[in-house]
This record gives sequence, structure tokens and C-alpha cells, in this order.
Amino acid sequence: MKLRLNKTVAAVASSALLLMAVPAVGIASASGAASKPSYTIGYEGPLSGGNQQLGLNMVFAVQLAINQANASGKLPFTLKLKTYDDQGDPTISPTQAQAAVANKSLVAIVGPAFSGATAAAEPYYKAAHIATVSPSATRVTLATSGWNNFFRVVADDGVQGPADANYLVKKLGKTSVYVVNDGTSYGSGVASAFAAQATTDGAKVSTATVPGTTQCQNGSASSTEYSAAATQAVASGASSLFYGGYYCDLGLFLGALQSAGFTGAIMSDDGALSPALIQGTTPASAANGVYLTCACASSTNKTFNSQYQALSHFSAANATYAPESYDATNAIINAMKSLKKITRAGIVTALHKLSMKGMTKVIKFQSNGNISGSAIYVNQVKNGKIVQLGLE
Amino acid sequence: MGGFGHYLASHFDTLRLEFWSLFVGGVANGFLYGMVAVGYTLVYGVLRLINFAHSEIFMSGGFAGYFVMKALIGTSVPSGFATVYLIVIGIVVGGLVGAIVATILERVAYRPLRRRNAPKLAYLISAIGASYFLFNMAGKEFGRYSISMPQPYINHPVFKIFGAPVQLYYIVILIAGVIMFLGLDRIVAKTKLGRSIRAVAQDAETASLMGVNIDRTIAMTFIVGGALGGAAGFLFGLGTGVVYTMGFTPALKAFTAAVLGGIGNLRGAMIGGLLLGVVESLSVVFVQAAYIDVVAFGILVAVLLFRPTGILGERLGRAA
Repeated sequence: MKLRLNKTVAAVASSALLLMAVPAVGIASASGAASKPSYTIGYEGPLSGGNQQLGLNMVFAVQLAINQANASGKLPFTLKLKTYDDQGDPTISPTQAQAAVANKSLVAIVGPAFSGATAAAEPYYKAAHIATVSPSATRVTLATSGWNNFFRVVADDGVQGPADANYLVKKLGKTSVYVVNDGTSYGSGVASAFAAQATTDGAKVSTATVPGTTQCQNGSASSTEYSAAATQAVASGASSLFYGGYYCDLGLFLGALQSAGFTGAIMSDDGALSPALIQGTTPASAANGVYLTCACASSTNKTFNSQYQALSHFSAANATYAPESYDATNAIINAMKSLKKITRAGIVTALHKLSMKGMTKVIKFQSNGNISGSAIYVNQVKNGKIVQLGLE
Repeated sequence: MGGFGHYLASHFDTLRLEFWSLFVGGVANGFLYGMVAVGYTLVYGVLRLINFAHSEIFMSGGFAGYFVMKALIGTSVPSGFATVYLIVIGIVVGGLVGAIVATILERVAYRPLRRRNAPKLAYLISAIGASYFLFNMAGKEFGRYSISMPQPYINHPVFKIFGAPVQLYYIVILIAGVIMFLGLDRIVAKTKLGRSIRAVAQDAETASLMGVNIDRTIAMTFIVGGALGGAAGFLFGLGTGVVYTMGFTPALKAFTAAVLGGIGNLRGAMIGGLLLGVVESLSVVFVQAAYIDVVAFGILVAVLLFRPTGILGERLGRAA
């Protein structure tokens, strides 16, 4: 009896509280909702499976951008987020794209996240005139497949190697480069694109293949090769070295290079951009000074970082592609703001005309949907930490 | 003409420097191969068995050394006497853990088979199974990524040979290697343990009739081989860091070295290791680093074609 009384009291008290609080909020949102139409921005990417974390990194940034836009009170409409989980899989992606197309209130998509999934989904989005702004799909051919609704706020795979060469040769003034690749399709691709541009820029280029080792996950060679490879790099007399490959083998190579007395500048790509590079380099000091480039930005914006963390409950510092997702969402919102009447096709046209200052870079698209201007970030290892220096 | 002569001279200087640098690196690698190779050869001598789990003894020694270095060094930069003391501790702990793992391996993976007179193939499968068990266990426990070894010194060139800098790290390997080789050679040649190892290697049955305790001798053989393998693991990790797969190729190379020198032959294993290390390193003068493994195993095939018993022949029982 006593218990029941307490419950009743509690119920009365809480409903009284609700009566006080709810109407204030309710009236405001009701009046807003009455006059403002509501639109949905979709997100397509991996929200389950092995690449789930990458999708989560993105989706919280999309949600943050939408929350901020709604809260600003400046929008003539309200925005909602709907997610489409493709697991990063090209075989699941078309189904998700069809579901997104069928959603009448959906006007544009942030994503798809993965290149393969993008290629598979894009025909459906194109047919429905839905703009897709990917924060992370980097396959070169995505921009040349005739999808006028395709946009990306990240540089494609073909950009990084040449941009790295320009930075090393023109900005840092290195006149000779020893270009090493790890024999993987990724590493040799980046390295050969780098070598071609470095040669064009007038540097003396010599190349070597030093295959990945069994010490690391993607190799079959023995790590004893690195002392010999480092000796050759020193003997070449080059004033700088570019490594196309991944962090684990680069770590082994850096130790050998220091041991062999190589003192030139060392640069590598996003495959090597990982705190694990420093953790795996013996001695750890051998990683200091190494330049690491990436089409991805890491957020240094304190406001964004704290708001992102409040929403996601994990740090924005390691959330790869979160800043790009934030920019992609804001690109769509800005395109919508520029329209008198919001339609799917209208947003595609507006995105082609868009020019805005994003968090990672200026968001302005080329006619094929690629981002304009330099979009490669350069980082450097300083005192055992990776520090972002800025755009190349 | 003078310009061309100058070019040739300077190019020759580069080549000479490269040659000696590669030679120094090759000798260091060779000593490491040799230390691991004697483990293969000793066990082969007494058991006629290739201990394919030896790579994981090497890895265990590496990790043991890493944990000791991490605990003792932390973020400080030792020098002078502390450096010597740390290196000795690392070698001893690496060797100790290597010996313990080798003993467990012998007890769990080999002795039960020996009791049951299992065919040689069963040993081989048991060895491979133990190897996979151990390195996957290490991957699970210590993470599947490369870990930097805290350094007991600041690695730097100490002196030069024909212009080629010799790193402190190489000197550490050289000194440790020479002491271990000489010590082992003496143990096998002069001590009672050495006599029993040789006796069991020659003829196990007769040795047991003569009062040699075969179980104990085999166990001791694993301990000695394991200690050297573990110590080599630490020395290897000192240069390149540790990871659960670190044993795979060095051990495969060491096995090659053991066969090259004559499997079962102690001095052969040491010489085979040095030869393999130096030749594969120097091959880089002519071909790219990517071909190192091709050269190493090419040598193996070539030697075995012309001298199937290896350079010094198979003879643990007779030699040393």
C-alpha cells in the first residue's frame, strides 16, 4: 500500500513536470513543423560487419551536421537522417540504394562509403536523380563513369602519388629521390605515380622494389633484406626517399635506414599513416621526421571534436573520414539552402555550382564530381607523434 | 678523359663502400642465422628430426627480451656499463625462456611420440602443429602487430671498415655470437654432456648400453639449442622489433644454413649461417634487394646438387 502510494506520488510529480516542460518545447516544434517541410538525407555505408567502425565514424558526423543545421533555426525546412547499411559490400549496396530511392522524403545521400559499393549503387541513384556525396570512395573511375549525380569530397587514388612528388620536390626542394615500393598493387601504384611526377618535376629518380616481409601481414620476404636495401638507398646518394607501402614494413625499413646512416627526408602514403608505425619502429626515434600523406584529414577543430565526441562517445581524433562526412553533409545542406524549390534533381544541379568553405578544404566540385584543388593532407612524425601539417 | 677517370674512381668508391657496408650487415645476419642453425643441427643430430617449432623458440626469446627491456629501460636512454648489463640480461633472459619453451616442446610434442616409437612423419606434423599453436598464441596474447624494442643504447657507427660504418648493434651481435659459438663448441667437444650428445648422435642404442641417459641427453640438447635460439631472438628483436611471426623467415634461413653447412654438423651450422648471411647480402651489389630470398635458396639448391651432405658433411657424432 505504501509502495503503491509512493508510485502514485511519483507518477503525479513526473506528469506535473512533463506538463511544465513539454508544452514549451511542443509548441515551438509544432509551430515549426507546421510551416516547415521535412526532408531526409540518407547515409549509405557499412554499419555492421567488419568495417562497421568506419561507418560509425561517418554517421555521427552526418548526424552532427544535421543537428547543427536544424538547431540554427535558419533553415526553411527540417532535416532527418536515415541510414542504409550496405556493409561496404557491392552485392548489398544495390538493394540499399533501391530502398533509398523508394523513400519519397529522401533528397540526397552522403556516401556510399566504399568504392565497390558506390559503383554498384550509382546506376540506381542516377536514375532517380539523387545526388551522392561520398566522404571516402577513392576509386579513380567513379568520376569517369558518366554519373552526373556523383560527387566526392576526398581526393581520388590517382592524386596522392603526384601530389606527394610535388610536395617533396617543389616544396621541400629535394632534387633526388630514391623511390621504394613494397611490391603490393597499392604500394607500387602509389610509388610509380610518385616517380613519374617527380621525374616531370625535374628530380633524379631511382627506384627499387623491397617486398613486404613475414614480420608483417602482407608479405613473404625476410626482414633481413632491409639492411641491404637501406645500404643501397644510402649508396644511391639520394637526398630523399619515398616509400609506397604500409606502416609495418616501413617501420622495419626506417630502423635499417637510420642504422645505415640515411639522413635524407623520408615520405610515405596513407597506407603508412598509423600510430602503429611509430609503435613498430625500432628504435622508435627512427620514425621522427617522416612525412605521411593522406587524402583524409584529421580534425583539429576543437568545437567539432567536442561536439562529435558528445554525440558518438568516442574521440574524433581517430575517427577516419568523420571530417569529410561532416563536409559532405554540409555540402548537401548548403545546396538545399540555395534552392527555392527542393527537388532531388535540383540538388544535383546546385551541388555542381556549390562553393563553400568546408572544415577540411574548400568544397567545390569539378564537372565530373571530383573535388577541386589540392586535397592531400601532409602529416609529419614529431617526437613520436603524428602531427598534421596541412594541405600539400 | 680526366673527367671520366674521376667518375670511374668516384663510382668505384661508392661500390667499395656499398660492398663493405653490405658485408658488415651480412656478417651480422650470418651470426644470427648461425645461432639459430645450431639449434636445428643439435636436435637433428640426436633425434634425426627437424624441429620446425624452433622458429617459435626464437620468437619466445624475442618477446622475453622485449618485456625485460621494457621493464628495465622504460623511457630512459642507458649508456656505458648499463648498456652492457642490459644486453647481457636480455641475452640471458631470452636464452632462458628459449630453453624453457624448448624443454616444454620436447616434453609435450616429441617425448610422447618417442615413447610410442611413432614414425618420423608424426614428429614433423607434431612440430608444425606446435609451431602454429605457439605463434598464434603469441599473436593472441601480444597483438598481431610489430612492437618496437626499447633500446639499451643509442645505435651509432663505432668504427669504419674500408669506409663502411660498423654499427654498435652489429658489434653486439658479433661479440655475443663469437662467445656463444666458442662456448658451444667447447661444450660439445670437452664436457661430459658434449660426449653424451655425440654418443647419442652416433648410435643412441649403444650409448644407452654404455650408461648414457638418453632422455636426459635429448632434453639437454633441446635446452642448449633453445637457449641459443632464444638469445638470437632477443638480438634479432633488438634490431627490428618483435612480432608474433618474427620467427618464420629467420628460422627458415637458419634451417637453410644448417643444411648448407651439413645438417647435424655443429661447425657446419655456424659456417653455413655466416656464408648465407654474407652471400645474400652481397648479392644486392648485382641484383635488387627483392631477390635476396631467391639468391639464398638458389644457393641452397646449388650446394645440395653438388654436395648433398652440405659443405662440411653430416657428422655431429664425429666432428667437434
